[in-house]
Amino acid sequence: MKLAQYVLQRFATYLAVLFIGLTITFFLPRFMPGDPINNYISQIQARAGQTLSPEAVEQIRNSLAELYGLKGNLFTQYVGFLNRVILHFDFGPSFTNYPEKVSTILLRALPYTVGLLLTTTALSWIIGNLIGLVAGYYNKRAGATVLELLGIVLYPIPYYILAISVLIVLAFWLQIFPISPTFLPGEFTWEKFKQILYNSILPALTLVLAGFGWNILSMKSLAVSTKEEPFVQFARLKGVPNWNRMTGYVFRNALLPQVTALILSLGTIFNGALLTEMIFSYPGVGLLMRTAAGAGDYNLLYGSITLSIIAVATAAFILDLIYPLFDPRIRLGR
Amino acid sequence: MIKLENIEATYTTVRGRVKAVEGVSLEIPYSIILGIAGESGCGKTTLMKVIYGDTGFPLELTKGSVDYGFENDRGQPVTSRNIQREWFRNISYVPQSSMSSLNPVTRIRDQFTDFPATYGRKREVLESVREYVQELGLPPESIDAYPHQLSGGMQQRIMVALATFFHPQIILADEPTTALDVVVQKDILILLMRLQRMMRNTIIFVSHDMGVHYQITHKMMIMYAAKTVEYANTDDIFKNPLHPYTLMLTSSLPTIGDERARTGLPGRPPSLWDPPQGCRFAMRCPLATAHCHEVEPQLLEHLPGRFSACHRVDAIPELAAKVWRGPKLSELANDQDKLIAQVESALRADETEGAAAAAALKEEVE
Repeated sequence: MKLAQYVLQRFATYLAVLFIGLTITFFLPRFMPGDPINNYISQIQARAGQTLSPEAVEQIRNSLAELYGLKGNLFTQYVGFLNRVILHFDFGPSFTNYPEKVSTILLRALPYTVGLLLTTTALSWIIGNLIGLVAGYYNKRAGATVLELLGIVLYPIPYYILAISVLIVLAFWLQIFPISPTFLPGEFTWEKFKQILYNSILPALTLVLAGFGWNILSMKSLAVSTKEEPFVQFARLKGVPNWNRMTGYVFRNALLPQVTALILSLGTIFNGALLTEMIFSYPGVGLLMRTAAGAGDYNLLYGSITLSIIAVATAAFILDLIYPLFDPRIRLGR
Repeated sequence: MIKLENIEATYTTVRGRVKAVEGVSLEIPYSIILGIAGESGCGKTTLMKVIYGDTGFPLELTKGSVDYGFENDRGQPVTSRNIQREWFRNISYVPQSSMSSLNPVTRIRDQFTDFPATYGRKREVLESVREYVQELGLPPESIDAYPHQLSGGMQQRIMVALATFFHPQIILADEPTTALDVVVQKDILILLMRLQRMMRNTIIFVSHDMGVHYQITHKMMIMYAAKTVEYANTDDIFKNPLHPYTLMLTSSLPTIGDERARTGLPGRPPSLWDPPQGCRFAMRCPLATAHCHEVEPQLLEHLPGRFSACHRVDAIPELAAKVWRGPKLSELANDQDKLIAQVESALRADETEGAAAAAALKEEVE
């Protein structure tokens, strides 16, 4: 009973967040000065050398407005927007890839981004936290300092420098991996899967390296302070062995803020992907966003931003759902 | 009998090494409650750590040893070298901060079974723990709860249950009630006393609160600046102390009906970084002579069972007469038995909520 109520409550919050986010993305550009259709028409006119008749202009205006959902007053536009986006996941056609639908383009890019970033975020989180835990728990030993050094060295390197260095060493000098990946279109076969995997290793490696430095440092400092907590000291005085104290006491407690950080970083994977996908020409949502922004492809941009909103809100929702599993104090009604 | 022999415990710090306990020798008979009292920084807690065998960096047992007077399951005598293997088997510990001494993210029952003393008999242990906590006035389901679901008093009962469940020979309690309000405090103290009577184990009890010492301990050891200054039965400590420091300590206690303002003991204890030659209490002592400042007094048995480290034991009754003007604390009844009887009957009447009983009891006592 309580559980169902809890889930329902969180789900309602989730929907509310989504709704507010979508509403803001709808209204924000509309309150900006200028009219995209007028801009577009003046562009066409400039190209056409003022040869368009007023009727033709009116016709273009109408069809453009219909195409991009700009017909009618603000309210009907808004309802139409919600209807298209929420019920049909339809953002209209892409400007640059006309007449391909934005949703098709997004769905094609999505698995790449999600696959790459889910794997790397999870990997760097797990490896980073384990190293950080050991480094923090045994912080008075020399070996722990070496582990911590790993984090201290990796963490401050700007991502683009790290990525380009890895690219130079592994792809340019050693030529183990391709400089720019090739992803053949066509059926999804075992061969293709292997190809995708092989082409993804380089960007994945840079993401893991860039991500786990932070995880090491943050887990290390959490573990150091947690192990001084009275309940860990008391466990020691009970005779609880080191391993159990490290895992059952220190890790279980230091984990909580780290889980929050993990889920929130999962929510922002589309932003995190931007640089990686640009550097490695990886065909994900990030690259799409960049192309869209560069080419003034409003619909595509809209679509990717909406996707980000959905991702962040979903991540927060998942966090709400799983957090009580880690921290009994959050369990509702207690 | 637990024998402490010439214990010297040293802390290694950035500033250098400091002896927090120096030359403490003590024979503690079994089945008593021993109280250790003294000012902050006098070495009480360090001595507790030494007795518990918790001497890792920066604390080190530089001299002496503790002989616990029993043998381990391999037939070797248990000393400060191997006491760690007896943790929560034959020696246990009630911490000061019960509220933060339980792992907040696991159920209490799991914290009864995650240490070596319970390995291999988890189910069996949990069955009897359930019965046992009921005896201590807690509902049996309380061990299925998470710590934050219990009140402070209940958590401290859980800590007492943990410490006593395995019927250890020795229980160390380092200010087990300072974090609790007076109602719960009395409750926990009486619980400890009751269990000690039942199980006949030795409790070593550290507290700042001389009133608490008077009520629950049988023998007391007074520490001053890393040394033992007096060791005697609690009654003697309060009625006829043999050390001026003890006298000042006990006479600073307010007593009901006495409206005289209390004069504290002026001055501060000497720095352990640079302890003075001679008696360490000399510079605050009203009886100090030139001899006291030069020669360090040894802890001697001046009267049967009454040890004191003072050159001027003879002059103490005179000082006491000066210090004690109001009603003496010794005139208050020491009614341990009455307290225990009352609590036991109250617990029987209302097993699930011991707090109510304690509240009623408190009113009556006062």
